[in-house]
Amino acid sequence: MRAHLIALGAIVVVVAAAVFGLRSAVALDLLFTLLLYAVLGQSWNWISGYGGNISFGHAIFFGCGAYASALCVTHGLSPWLAIPAGALVAALLAIVTGFPTLALRGHYFSIATIAVAALVDAFVRTTPWLGKATGFELPIAPGWATMQFPQKGTYVALALILFAAVQLATMALERSRMGYYLRALRANHAAAAAVGIDERRVKLVAFAWSATMAAVAGVLYAQYTLFVDPPSTIALAISIDIALIGVVGGIGTLWGPAVGALVYVVLAKAVALQLGGAGKGYDLVIYGAIICLIAALRPYGIVGTIVDALRRRRGAEAAA
Amino acid sequence: MDALATPAQLLVGGLLTGLVFALVAVGLTLIYGVMDVVNFAHGEYLMLAMYATLALALLGIGPLVGLPLVAIALFLFGIVVYRVFIRRLLAGPPEATVFGTFGMLVLLQGLAQATLTSDYQSIPNPPFHGTIRVGAIAVSQATLIEGIGALVLTAALFAFVEFTETGRAMRAVAEDRIAATLMGIDVQRINGLAFGIGAACVGAAGALLMLSYPVYPTVGAAFALTAFVVVALGGFGSIQGALVGALLVGLLEVFGGFYLSPELKLVPVYLAYLIVVLLRPQGLLGRR
Repeated sequence: MRAHLIALGAIVVVVAAAVFGLRSAVALDLLFTLLLYAVLGQSWNWISGYGGNISFGHAIFFGCGAYASALCVTHGLSPWLAIPAGALVAALLAIVTGFPTLALRGHYFSIATIAVAALVDAFVRTTPWLGKATGFELPIAPGWATMQFPQKGTYVALALILFAAVQLATMALERSRMGYYLRALRANHAAAAAVGIDERRVKLVAFAWSATMAAVAGVLYAQYTLFVDPPSTIALAISIDIALIGVVGGIGTLWGPAVGALVYVVLAKAVALQLGGAGKGYDLVIYGAIICLIAALRPYGIVGTIVDALRRRRGAEAAA
Repeated sequence: MDALATPAQLLVGGLLTGLVFALVAVGLTLIYGVMDVVNFAHGEYLMLAMYATLALALLGIGPLVGLPLVAIALFLFGIVVYRVFIRRLLAGPPEATVFGTFGMLVLLQGLAQATLTSDYQSIPNPPFHGTIRVGAIAVSQATLIEGIGALVLTAALFAFVEFTETGRAMRAVAEDRIAATLMGIDVQRINGLAFGIGAACVGAAGALLMLSYPVYPTVGAAFALTAFVVVALGGFGSIQGALVGALLVGLLEVFGGFYLSPELKLVPVYLAYLIVVLLRPQGLLGRR
């Protein structure tokens, strides 16, 4: 626990220093993307990693935040209001869709998330007040009230705060009763139910919090890009990216999503630098290969493997 | 008469579409039934098969002649994938097969995007381009051949699983892996065969589809999603179920596309999935 807090503190200090020190827009953009993906990966990790219900439709919760932001701005309200509003809508969507589907096992749940996400996507694309397929372009109006900043560093700082909050919440989850319930359910749901754990309630709470985190990230994203449309927020491709980040780093671990986001961002950038526009697809090949290797050899991802190795070493030392 | 013409036309169109979905879905359901693996990369296998058919067509070999070649190629591909990859996933925790086949989806998708143009490509000189009229109903020859071909192959797979010794062994493995081992069945061999045959089905479907569809790197996604729904509707592991589910999905899609709007054509399909898995998780014809 202390080690985790120190690690988080160190990350916050380093990133904060980078915000003040870096002038390069490209570097700040990378940093923002990295933090945002880490938050989305952790959000996914709550329900799919700790909860064991693998979601392939997580982008709809991200979309709740982004669309809440767009709607607030286009109706003359401050996007800060979109944080509670988007989070509330996302949590409600999670509860309404999770209530019937969370009881489904394995692939039934995963395919249900794809179906729900596709329905949400179809709804948004045909609903005039949600901008249909064209979406929203948000007017430029810098200021704290409009959550628009001339310096990219400010966005990075906000993303850093969100990331730190999400990591702290996850540390709390790992040590909380609910964290133990989730792990017990994942290990053996029948045994967990037999000792009186209410699976539906525990998972609904985890799902609602997971959706909330993704929605807040969505608000920040909308204010950063000032553009919200279905392909950039709620499409299946975004859901797949979120799951990818969660899986690569390691499911059900505190730092897995951050590591996954780092791998994702670094690879995407490296491929773009090496191959330019022609490199489309090569990054997918590499992620795909990583996921295949992890699934075949080390199903608990990069962080899971490290944790395992540490445990074994500690065990060996204790034995010696 | 005219008032009935449109629904009749849609009915025929929906059933023919459904038959092709069935051939894609039976491969998925066979793999699931025998080894409990939901192959999330199934749509990408379809994409590979369609590109293989296109390549043959560019060499002057038409899709119908190419069909057995593509099916055999996919069969061998499936066996190799099982031997080097799926077998390892089965030894891991249950999530491993979801993540592993998902990883394969991402990998194949990336390969296609990286090496192939994102343009829609069709075979040169498609062999069938006329329309057949029966009363008020018009059917394009290509769609008719696709539907009939898919029905014949689906029936052939059903007969294979139902009446041959190997098919019996597959059903035994599906029922109880350990008991099957004790009866002297080589489970690894049967699993590998089932995976290969599942891939061959989607290979044949890909070849048939090229009669009327263009191919592009992300073509698999739409078909794979539909196939998951079909398999869930019919009951995971049930071949007859997949056929019934596919016809239902074909009808829902065609009627939905006509009466709602083309971009909403999948809405009734997904709603049907959610309703069925919530009310009858074993599917319409599945058993538990």
